Amino acid sequence: METKMTEQESLKIITEMIENSRSGIRDNGFYCLLWGWLMLSASILNLILMKMNYDKAWLPWPVLMAAGMVVSVIVGYRKGKEARVMTWFDTSMIYLLRAFFMVLVIVLYMAGTGVIPWRAADSLIISLYGLATFFSGGLLRFRPLIYGGTLAWVLAIVVLYVPDLYSFPVVGASIVVAYLVPGYILKNRYNRDSHV
Amino acid sequence: MFKQLDPLLHSELRLKIVSLLVGVESAEFNWLLEQTGAIHGNLSVQINMQREVGYIDVKKSFRRNYPLTTCRITEKGSKAFEEYVEALKEYLKLKYATGLKTCAMC
Repeated sequence: METKMTEQESLKIITEMIENSRSGIRDNGFYCLLWGWLMLSASILNLILMKMNYDKAWLPWPVLMAAGMVVSVIVGYRKGKEARVMTWFDTSMIYLLRAFFMVLVIVLYMAGTGVIPWRAADSLIISLYGLATFFSGGLLRFRPLIYGGTLAWVLAIVVLYVPDLYSFPVVGASIVVAYLVPGYILKNRYNRDSHV
Repeated sequence: MFKQLDPLLHSELRLKIVSLLVGVESAEFNWLLEQTGAIHGNLSVQINMQREVGYIDVKKSFRRNYPLTTCRITEKGSKAFEEYVEALKEYLKLKYATGLKTCAMC
């Protein structure tokens, strides 16, 4: 049976339903935390291996980034299979992650083969995850991610000019501001909202 | 001249379905059932009606051996929804300007 509606009722339905579909756009910070911890680990391991004078000190980067990609693909596939609704945010994030990984591989290849210096690669990588953080912050309208992305870009410039010894702490700091802090805020917000 | 409201959208359940689908890329039948608060049979009939006119694209598949129905709004559906909202806005403007008390579809 059909229900007759007034125009005001129509508008109310439209507003309510759009609001309902928007409430599905939430993020638990999983990818932020995964990539944040992986990159921080790669950065610290790189520093330790350099101190040990190991000639392939850069090795933790491709290994851990590839591991991150495998985990992201598996988790993304499982989430996609279970998801009852697919939002534009989900699709955008899938493409962003793919693009992120491809550019990361290209930058690591350029640095690994000596086409560009590692210092430039550090700056490009920081800029790249600044972009991912800023973009997802804009989609989620989540300020900590927008600020984190912006701060990462500032640190991408800083890393070009600091002495070698300080480049690792700068990379580490950029990971903390762009990934770990927003990731934990997202996680807390998600847990809090899930219990309402 | 006032534009008529699309009768295929000007029904509570059909409008709920399209408004939900406009905000997402695709949604499962059960999610729509939950969000609209409709009963299974009624939702199925309305989705089918909107599929037949080309407003909604319906994909049938299986998940863990159970049938799965996924719906997404088509370009034609999005356009019809936009036109419906425009007509609604125009009608409300006209109503407040002239003090009309009747519904466009009644």
